[in-house]
Amino acid sequence: MSRERRRTRPSVVLPVVPEGPEVPAPPPPPPTTKRKRAAEPRPFLLDFFPVETEAGTRLARFFDRLREGRLSTTRCARDDLLLWPPRTACPRCHTEELEWVDLPDRGRLYAFSAVLVGAPLGMEKDVPFSVGLVDLEGAPLRLFGRIEGRPWNELEIGAAVRVESYETDDGRVYYRFRATE
Amino acid sequence: MSGRAVALVGGATTKFGVRASTWSELAQEVGAALFRAVPELEAKEVDSLFVGAAMPERFAFQSHVAPLVAEQMGIRPTRVLQRTELACASGQSAIRSAYAAIAAGLSDVAVAVGVEKMNLPSMAEANAAMACVLDRAWDGPAGLTAPPYFAMVAQRHMLEFGTTEEQLAAVSEKNHRFANSNPNAHFYEKTYPRDKLLRLPLVSPPLRLGDCAAMTDGAAAVVLVSEELAHRYPGPKAWIRGSGQYSDFHNLANAGSLTEWPGMKRAATEALEMARIGVRDLDFAELHDCFSISEIVEYEALGLCGRGEGGRFAADGRGDIGGDVVVNPRGGLLGCGHPLGATGIAQAVEVYEQFAGKVPSARQVPSPEWALVHNLSGSANVHSVMVYHRGRAA
Repeated sequence: MSRERRRTRPSVVLPVVPEGPEVPAPPPPPPTTKRKRAAEPRPFLLDFFPVETEAGTRLARFFDRLREGRLSTTRCARDDLLLWPPRTACPRCHTEELEWVDLPDRGRLYAFSAVLVGAPLGMEKDVPFSVGLVDLEGAPLRLFGRIEGRPWNELEIGAAVRVESYETDDGRVYYRFRATE
Repeated sequence: MSGRAVALVGGATTKFGVRASTWSELAQEVGAALFRAVPELEAKEVDSLFVGAAMPERFAFQSHVAPLVAEQMGIRPTRVLQRTELACASGQSAIRSAYAAIAAGLSDVAVAVGVEKMNLPSMAEANAAMACVLDRAWDGPAGLTAPPYFAMVAQRHMLEFGTTEEQLAAVSEKNHRFANSNPNAHFYEKTYPRDKLLRLPLVSPPLRLGDCAAMTDGAAAVVLVSEELAHRYPGPKAWIRGSGQYSDFHNLANAGSLTEWPGMKRAATEALEMARIGVRDLDFAELHDCFSISEIVEYEALGLCGRGEGGRFAADGRGDIGGDVVVNPRGGLLGCGHPLGATGIAQAVEVYEQFAGKVPSARQVPSPEWALVHNLSGSANVHSVMVYHRGRAA
């Protein structure tokens, strides 16, 4: 606080609150009547799943393809560059003319682990769950994802997995991997 | 290096841990500690304030934190006021920004503060906040957080180089031992011998509880001044002599090898070349041991040992007092905890206090001259490095 302001304000003596735990209980809240409200949209900011429809993303096609069971992504034909995640502009030549390609539905585990504690909000019920990096067979891509079908201590590096799509509780679609051997 | 020389002339940290304090209270507490630790500092001289905070929106539902911290600390910046966010490296970003402002002549006296309050009533909410450091839309839905990512780094390091759980435990044992002489550390006065570390529960296999830095509340602050004003501070100084930063990728698909961090090598090379020294000239290094495996990969990326030799480097005590170079004498993130925005500042406080000979003898590096501070952020996709010297401005 500047000296000038301190001078212009008269000092006031306010009652000192004694130290100690005794704080009087607040008065009970006034009675309320429950009112019916329209359904609220689900909380958005602690939800990991992406926006999937054309109303919110230019990559809706990814999710439309996924709903048909196909994992796809964008590719820059000019740079011969396969891009992940799917995008709207090439990071090399910056063209916005990208093409959609389907990705292989098989792969092998490059690395894996599991979440045994400390899951994010909304995933607590999934614990323990396995996750891993998968080298897709026939495409230069190593994707991260949930690994279903085997507990973590029965997985091995190099194990075969296949891509599958699944529906979330609220009807959105996402992809994951399933161990096949 | 061009521009004015910049000296770090003092700093302070709060107690790190699970604190019965709010985000703002931690900012006030570190302000009080800073003005006690640097009695020459007058609030009205501080022309710039940089606040390193990774996720106050998530952890405290508070944005626009730079003016909040200014008010909490009783500082009224007239030149530069800003928050710096680079996840786990937000604190070092605050120092780097202060350094840039002073070197450019825009600021003469700057304070860099880091604050983070990570222990929430709902830890699932805190874990969700941590997950949004990574690619929330394209890696997050699978449940990616830091532990499974660094667990995969450890798994690959074990597969490719034969690194063992015992070698991981050697890192954690060393850093917890140093933390035992740091009263502000989260795990002060807690002993973790290697056999105990190896019996702790798995978090993300192969990483156990003792391999992972804790979710910690804490704050730290430092004062940086221009070379023209350095003489006003009678104590020793930590002169910023090098800086380097490199960003490799964001989505895990674009990570390349998990066990080699070329971004750290580039950032460290840049910083060391700027300081005109080699890695062998370092007396100690504060490396970002968010996980035990991180420190092992960092030994290699920094060039303290060859690729794949980090595990043996740890087990042989070459990062300990009496070894090649002391790594994490403060106690590291493993021993001190990791309040994201505060970590990089607390590391710089350690550099200052080591140079000043002010730390307990159990962790005092003998007559240190050169120190390096490293932070990684996210999935080790970004590396930030600074080099400090005790005596000379250039």
